Amino acid sequence: MRLGYAWAVFVKEWRDLVSNRLLLGAVVFPALVFAAIPTGLVAFIQANDLDPNQLGQIKEYINDFPGVPAKLAAQGFIVTNFMAYFLLIPAMVPMAIATQSVIGEKVARSLEPQLATPLEVSELLAGKTLAAALPAVLATWTVFVLYGLINGAVADPRLTRFVFSEVWLVAMATLVPLICLFSVLMGIVVSSRANDPRTAQQIGGFVVIPIIAIAVAQFFGGQATFTMQQVLLGDLVVAVLIGGALALGSWAFDREAILSRLA
Amino acid sequence: MIVVEGLRKDFGRLTAVHDMSFTVGDGEIFGLLGPNGAGKTTTLRMLAGLIAPTAGGATVNGHALGEGSQRIRGLTGILTESPGLHDKLTARQNLAYYGRLYGMHGRQLAAAVDRYLGVVEMGAHADRRVGGFSKGMRQKIAIARALLHEPEVIYLDEPTSGLDPSAAKTVRDFVATLRGLGRSIVVCTHNLDEAERLCDRIGIMRGTLLRVDTPAGLRRHGRNPTVRVELNGARGPESFVHLLAGLPFVLGAQPREEDRALLVEVADPAGDTPDLVNALVGAGARISSVREAAATLEEVYLRLVGEVGERDATASGDRDAPGVAA
Repeated sequence: MRLGYAWAVFVKEWRDLVSNRLLLGAVVFPALVFAAIPTGLVAFIQANDLDPNQLGQIKEYINDFPGVPAKLAAQGFIVTNFMAYFLLIPAMVPMAIATQSVIGEKVARSLEPQLATPLEVSELLAGKTLAAALPAVLATWTVFVLYGLINGAVADPRLTRFVFSEVWLVAMATLVPLICLFSVLMGIVVSSRANDPRTAQQIGGFVVIPIIAIAVAQFFGGQATFTMQQVLLGDLVVAVLIGGALALGSWAFDREAILSRLA
Repeated sequence: MIVVEGLRKDFGRLTAVHDMSFTVGDGEIFGLLGPNGAGKTTTLRMLAGLIAPTAGGATVNGHALGEGSQRIRGLTGILTESPGLHDKLTARQNLAYYGRLYGMHGRQLAAAVDRYLGVVEMGAHADRRVGGFSKGMRQKIAIARALLHEPEVIYLDEPTSGLDPSAAKTVRDFVATLRGLGRSIVVCTHNLDEAERLCDRIGIMRGTLLRVDTPAGLRRHGRNPTVRVELNGARGPESFVHLLAGLPFVLGAQPREEDRALLVEVADPAGDTPDLVNALVGAGARISSVREAAATLEEVYLRLVGEVGERDATASGDRDAPGVAA
């Protein structure tokens, strides 16, 4: 693979994204929503006294925060428990960008002139993948940092430490980019075979179901947040899925198949 | 130089192109004429290294399709059927992107972009997004994109589609200058007039090449050279048919009472016309004009394409004609 060619594709895709306000909104909006809900709850708890009965209902969760006042433990539970939804951003956002990128080009018939150049399919896909994944990773990281800082400022500085825990720093550094990559690849696979963005996004939407399932299982399993072992296991599982998606992608995004479908 | 030998492309059970063989020399413009679905675009895609032939092969400037496809793509410029531009980018950004994909950088790239924006008279719109361009403006940018990297081989699919007459002439003139620079050029078009004016040779195709010849050669196809004699007198054309049948150099004669003319088939119009005129005047004809009557390219095209259409329909029991595809 020649990096210069992939970079040229990346720059073009990035320009395309930046000039597409609707798509840019789709990148930023979910991240802000996921961060705003728990932050609002934390601020609400901060401004009000907690009912001891309510504290009793979440007793098993606040046990994960020993040695801190019950009110802070409840805030800590909310802040860390909602963080599982941060994994939805890298699953959802790149999927939207990738499907728009491939199907948008199919509809505009701009894939053929690109495929008619010396550009290899792998270089085209690398550029598109990076351009779709990077905004989601940057959005997730930015909101993660803001989330930690704002909750610390709104309630208690110790909330910042709960957010920036070792487990979540590792999850942000590894799991988030891996989920992004998997999501982009699945977006490309689906888009290669579909000619309608809505169909592609509906099929692609299935990618986020396992992540929602993990978040729900974590809550009902009585865990405030993930453990390091779970994060590393998640890395492994997503890496294996990426391997499968790569194989699927090289089959689906075939130069000839794409052009035949355009014909 | 392009050498095509027995090229065939199947899409599943559908044969788009078969038994295509032709050559295009350096500095030659070769036209591919055919109805929709005749396989013109499929042929171009194969020759441009975009899709692989099912059988047969071709060499483009010495590089064989298949293992040499990436090199072929590098030395080829293609104007695709649809401009396929990136709407959110400006005209300059579109061209610069493709320049990079063809391995151009820095000043060389910037100079080429400026030059070709000028060639297609789009310099004033260079920094506008192409999403707001008219069809003709988009076509101009797509033409500039195909030529930006100074390709040795150029494929143009409907190059003047959507252009006004003045812009179309600019493009035709520019394509003609590329011929002078020794480029091999293949033009797909429905525009018979354009093909006749631009192309050195024309291949009429429908699934395969039906005939390849110069425009003049095609016009002569299937019939003897014909001299049209228009009469202006009391005697009608019918009255001269018997006389003409007795002349040794006349191969056939057809009176056209409705426009008072005789269509006379001869072997050598330049040599036989004076004797023909002498014979008619000697028999009392009053002649108002004499000229060689060649078939138009349109007549030849419709005859060839129609014959194959009828043959295919008969052979397949009026089912879809084979060879009609993408």
